[in-house]
Amino acid sequence: MDAGVGRKRESPQQAAPARDLEAPPPWSAGKGWKPHQDWQIEIAEEGLVAPATQLGLLKWFRGEFSWKPIAAFLGVALCWQILSLFAPAYIIPGVPAILRDFVRIIVTPELLYGGFITWARLTGALLASLLIGIPIGIVMGMFRGFDDYFRPVLKFWMGVPALNWVIIVIIWFNVTEIRIGFVLLAVCGPIYVFNIYDGIHAIDQKITDMVLSFGASHWQMVRILYWPQVKAYAFTATKINIGVAVRIVIVAELVGAPTGIGKELSLAMDSFEMSMVLAWTLWMIFMLQVLEVVVEALELKVLRWRLHEVTG
Amino acid sequence: MNGNAAPAKIVVQNIAKTFTQKKHGLKITAIKDLTFTVKEGEYLVIVGKTGAGKSVFFDCLLGLKEVSSGSLLIDGQPVKQFLKRSYGRITRIYQEDRLLPWRTATENAKLGLEILRVPEQEQRARAEHWLRKLGLRGFEHSYANELSGGMRQRVNIARAFATSPEILLMDEAFGGLDEVTAQRLRRDFIKLAHEEQITFLMVTHSIEEAIELGNRILIFGAPAHLIGEVRIPPEVAQNPKLARQYHDEILSILEAKGGIEVGMEE
Repeated sequence: MDAGVGRKRESPQQAAPARDLEAPPPWSAGKGWKPHQDWQIEIAEEGLVAPATQLGLLKWFRGEFSWKPIAAFLGVALCWQILSLFAPAYIIPGVPAILRDFVRIIVTPELLYGGFITWARLTGALLASLLIGIPIGIVMGMFRGFDDYFRPVLKFWMGVPALNWVIIVIIWFNVTEIRIGFVLLAVCGPIYVFNIYDGIHAIDQKITDMVLSFGASHWQMVRILYWPQVKAYAFTATKINIGVAVRIVIVAELVGAPTGIGKELSLAMDSFEMSMVLAWTLWMIFMLQVLEVVVEALELKVLRWRLHEVTG
Repeated sequence: MNGNAAPAKIVVQNIAKTFTQKKHGLKITAIKDLTFTVKEGEYLVIVGKTGAGKSVFFDCLLGLKEVSSGSLLIDGQPVKQFLKRSYGRITRIYQEDRLLPWRTATENAKLGLEILRVPEQEQRARAEHWLRKLGLRGFEHSYANELSGGMRQRVNIARAFATSPEILLMDEAFGGLDEVTAQRLRRDFIKLAHEEQITFLMVTHSIEEAIELGNRILIFGAPAHLIGEVRIPPEVAQNPKLARQYHDEILSILEAKGGIEVGMEE
């Protein structure tokens, strides 16, 4: 294509100004201005910038590590243990019993499978929501017409309580994975859509105009401007969705699944195994923490430019 | 210089631009019956009041907005037609650097070339060439937020020069910088523009800057229309007294015909 670049001018313009480039401007006469000795411009004194701060996940952990939260949790465990001495085990089990059941989950393959299947459902559904939500959010952000139609429908959709979705999918579908996947998609998808939409709308019109002034196509706008911009918003939405999805997946499994943590909780409830209920709760929290750390590590990698700051 | 012998690069013929405010249905006139010509190789500076529609005029030249009436020609063709095969031949340097924070200096500088689908290797080579020329050697891989204001503005200039433009639009390009940095950038810029044989149009509020950079100064009233024109001879650069005379002349036009409110803008 004729991009207007790389061409050689035929002839120098006759109209080029006959200005003396080495002369000081009228407003700086006598102020010690000197012409550039070399073609390359020197800017050494303009402000030095510190080298970029590279933060690895380990370093991040090391920087954040503190004994205080551990001490706090030990305090809570101690209080719980004291409380357990005054109540029956099926109401407040002792800390050793809870930890024993936690270890049991890890060493018993059937239980571990139940723990991982929930994690897999959660992760899979989040990924599916991300893959579906991002393009819809981008298109809604780019085209007002599309937004006008989609927004009211999505707002209505988001008004449906998660528990209602659980009941609806139990009636609609036979396959457990489809049931749970659909509920998670129905709840998490719109969160992605609206976050991505907000990301597109947060772009300064001046930046958009700058990119458009080079004749960018829709696809180039997505690749060069929208996609890099919405990445940060996708991470925010993911963090919100992890919290939302974990609640829903447990409820969905409790009601309509033969496997998973929800099902295990239901079984523990039926047999009054409070220590198991709490062990599964610990497992759930542990799982969530792992997921959040993975997301944050990815965020650090993908949005590494945010770590670079001017210090001088 | 012999400005009259050069062919017309931009022809502005009785253009007007009006907007309708959606909320209240108000009609806003940004440009009103504007007519002038820019010759090839000319350094044209536009001075005028804030909100006089100068930036809207630049948007029209870049094809981002369409004129409501009149004709706007570049190289004898309507803007849209010119741009269809010539994106990159007219670029703009903004007051705010408008760099993409997730891109390094090189990636920002090559943005236009990337959109114009120049081969990747050439994009990088040209972007780095311009960054080095503008004194940013060693900062090619720095992200925008690692650079100072002056450095960011240099990346902004490198991005505009990287596509080898014939016309450069400068929208208060040095307005957001401290005077020392702005002075240095102005000097570097004029050197580049001269070497690249660029036609440039610049918008500024500073009459001093206009005299320093322009061969011709157009004075805009609000909404954008011509209220005066002054040609600046080359000897002004050597003669502060003469420069002061031109400054006073421009100022008197602005004061007489409703231009800049002196004392408020400067």
